[in-house]
Amino acid sequence: MNPQDVVEYVISTLKKHGAEKVQCTVMDSEKKELNIDAGEMSLFRTTFNSSVGFTIYKDNCKGSISINKMDKDSIDAAIEDVIELANSSEPDEAYDIAEKQPPKSFSTGQTTADMDSMYDRLSEFSDYTKSTYPKVILEQAIIDFTYRKGIFANSNGVKFGLEKGMYNFSPMFTSKDGLNTSSFNYTGFSAKELNKSLKDYGSIDRLLKESQEQVITQQVPGKFKGQIIVTPDCLDDFVSTVMDFVTDIPLISGRSVYKDKLNESIADSRFTMHSNPRSDELESNYFITGDGYESQDCTLIKNGVLKTFLLGIYGANKTGLSRSVNDGGAHIVDSGDVAFHDLVKSMKQGVILSRFSGGNPSDNGDFSGVAKNSYYVENGEVKFPISETMVSGNICDMMNNIVDISKERIDYGDCIYPWVQFDGLTIS
Amino acid sequence: MINKDIRSYSSMFPKEYTELRVQENRSNGVALLNGDVVSNGKSAASGVSARIFKDGHWGFASNPNISDDAVESVIRSSTDNVRFLNIRDTSRCGMMLPETFINFEMDFTSQKQKNSQKHWIDFLKALDNYIVNKHPKITSRTVVIRSLDMEKSLITATGSTSYSMTPRAHLMISLSADREGQPIELMEAHGGLGQLEDNFDNPETYFSHIDEQVEHLLNKVDGVYAEAGEKEVILDAELAGILAHEAIGHTTEADLVMGGSVAGDYMGQQVASSLVSLIDFANKVNDVTCPVPVYVDDEGTKSEDVTIIENGVLKNFMHNKDSARYFESTPTGNARAFSFSDEPLIRMRNTAIMPGESKLEEMIASIEDGYYLMKPGNGQADSTSEFMFAVNLGYEIKNGKLGKALMDTTISGVAFDMLKTVDMVSDDMTWVSSGMCGKKQPMPVGMGGPAIRCKVNIGGR
Repeated sequence: MNPQDVVEYVISTLKKHGAEKVQCTVMDSEKKELNIDAGEMSLFRTTFNSSVGFTIYKDNCKGSISINKMDKDSIDAAIEDVIELANSSEPDEAYDIAEKQPPKSFSTGQTTADMDSMYDRLSEFSDYTKSTYPKVILEQAIIDFTYRKGIFANSNGVKFGLEKGMYNFSPMFTSKDGLNTSSFNYTGFSAKELNKSLKDYGSIDRLLKESQEQVITQQVPGKFKGQIIVTPDCLDDFVSTVMDFVTDIPLISGRSVYKDKLNESIADSRFTMHSNPRSDELESNYFITGDGYESQDCTLIKNGVLKTFLLGIYGANKTGLSRSVNDGGAHIVDSGDVAFHDLVKSMKQGVILSRFSGGNPSDNGDFSGVAKNSYYVENGEVKFPISETMVSGNICDMMNNIVDISKERIDYGDCIYPWVQFDGLTIS
Repeated sequence: MINKDIRSYSSMFPKEYTELRVQENRSNGVALLNGDVVSNGKSAASGVSARIFKDGHWGFASNPNISDDAVESVIRSSTDNVRFLNIRDTSRCGMMLPETFINFEMDFTSQKQKNSQKHWIDFLKALDNYIVNKHPKITSRTVVIRSLDMEKSLITATGSTSYSMTPRAHLMISLSADREGQPIELMEAHGGLGQLEDNFDNPETYFSHIDEQVEHLLNKVDGVYAEAGEKEVILDAELAGILAHEAIGHTTEADLVMGGSVAGDYMGQQVASSLVSLIDFANKVNDVTCPVPVYVDDEGTKSEDVTIIENGVLKNFMHNKDSARYFESTPTGNARAFSFSDEPLIRMRNTAIMPGESKLEEMIASIEDGYYLMKPGNGQADSTSEFMFAVNLGYEIKNGKLGKALMDTTISGVAFDMLKTVDMVSDDMTWVSSGMCGKKQPMPVGMGGPAIRCKVNIGGR
């Protein structure tokens, strides 16, 4: 069966079997991937896959199933299974599906991989790294082109078509100089086309250079309360944690520290962050929410004020709050007006935090972890790369203790972040 | 169920070294949040993949259909892929892989009658009701049951064949209580090798475990922050297990050694106290099956135990065929792929520090001012062997006695330094296997160990 037939068959058959609400996603995908391992071109991988996922609500009971086959026998077996799942479950009136919206098709990127360009770009990157940064070992570097085409539909008449083709690159690297070894580091980007050298995307070239410097490290001089400048590579760890606190499960369970903070200040007034999955600013977009709404751009935190929770239909119905207009992510943090080197100059004692190897923050926002690929700063000067250095604090307090935000930002294709300087962290 | 015998497809193999794998992963999961069913679903993903090696390059292709046409297609596509690389990069011409041969079948499918989904929802409801009725101070509860079956058939050009069905099933209970308006959480996992029917029977079996979990959680509500800095600690078995896996295990995976891991410089050297021996077990320890038993890996190599550290000396790395070629060593059966569309990577199986001779009680009594750290959260390690683990349950030790519980904290250190500080190892051993190891692909792994006494850096305020 083709995706269109699968969607129509699944919805009509399940409705005949008594499901009041059905949503179904059918997707075909093809991935072309080249791998460098331990500095050598090693693998060319091609994968084809299909996915058929549907969720039903029958007598307000939920069942979900996912398979990767589109033949009628497999679909019929999955339909039988999902009915059993729903019949086994407990009713909850908060379950629902998206209401009818005008049918629409979304398309972005290319439909086929340019394999010669992928190979040439990766090979050029490998040669550049070896010649420019001889201490760097490319532990693994993966470039892929992933193409997906499919349909989302539900029994309320929602029908969206989706076609997306994106290149993704993710290098992971370590530096060695004799017996001295750096921490590994990694980064990446997403793009519609490979129209420049891989080293010139995102923060790749800077991180390779820094990796070479990090083969010799020192510990910070004892425990102190200080500042950190969180780099764009590391900022996602922190801001995503903040937004995780305002998703369905923490809010339904009442565990979220921000449960009473909608339209209230949760961060310094200079901090503004958008979730823009449809923005032309980002190469990688998403068009449909998991619940089946056309996604829209929104501002998550405006001048420090939390402007929206990230609730789906179930979370919104369960809490009595509004559904969010997208599923989050696609973050764009507004730039500040201070140059990065002036952030460093202003710092009396602290750390430039480039990667954070930390435990998942507690529900109350407490966190601690190790500063990786990071630098010690004293009296406005970068002193040395650090190791065995722990950073501890509370993320809610931290968001209110922003010292400054850089005017420079890094574009990763699916998010854009500046450097952000925070105060009041314990560094040991 | 997939076809156990795929030998007939070997006639389609090209002259280059070829692997063909048919695989299905099946999962089932139910989650209750404060008594409401928030998740109730199943998934299955199956297909066929081929991988071909020639002149130092691999070509790989996969297809979700399992048919003669799909097999022909993936072999043709992987052949095209390896030729694409061979034409563009001739620097690795002539490289050959070591050959292995094994025929083996292992099926851990439950012999018990399969329960309905309603049975498992009722099982979770019974646990949830018990928590509500018995423990009024619990402010939020999440109860989850989930299973994963991994079924694989493999044939290689050197004649290896294998079939395996390796299931795992776990119950996760996460509870929260209030501390001055802020939530404090503690999660506990149960289960391991086996399908749901093998691992979970009567919900009442878990009531005493819930009572114990609540007691620890309420201690945490009244807990204190750890004092930041280097401390003498007892790492209980679960933390020793994650240390074995994250901090040592990953640095001794041969592909990461090739990528610059510091372990490459330490072979044959004393890297730990002589009390420390660390083994990646393939499938059994003392005739008892490990939580993630692997008998034949996804390159058709018999899985062997790998003694990584013996009495403190670094002895071996874990290998696949390509790293064994590079290091002029022997493949150890560590090449594993998560799904049909994944290529095998060097992965650990069941990595554990071996038990010693001390008793846990005497280890705690031996510490004047330190911590007894019991439950890990997430963990990460580095090419330098510097590690970080979240600690979600621990207690102060003052004058040899347990004191107040700790708020969530983190420990860190450089494993090859820290392991030299180990001076006591308990005589018992515990396995955990509820998490997934992440390395390009997810992968079920087992982690085990005794309790160890050592010095680590601990985060705090």
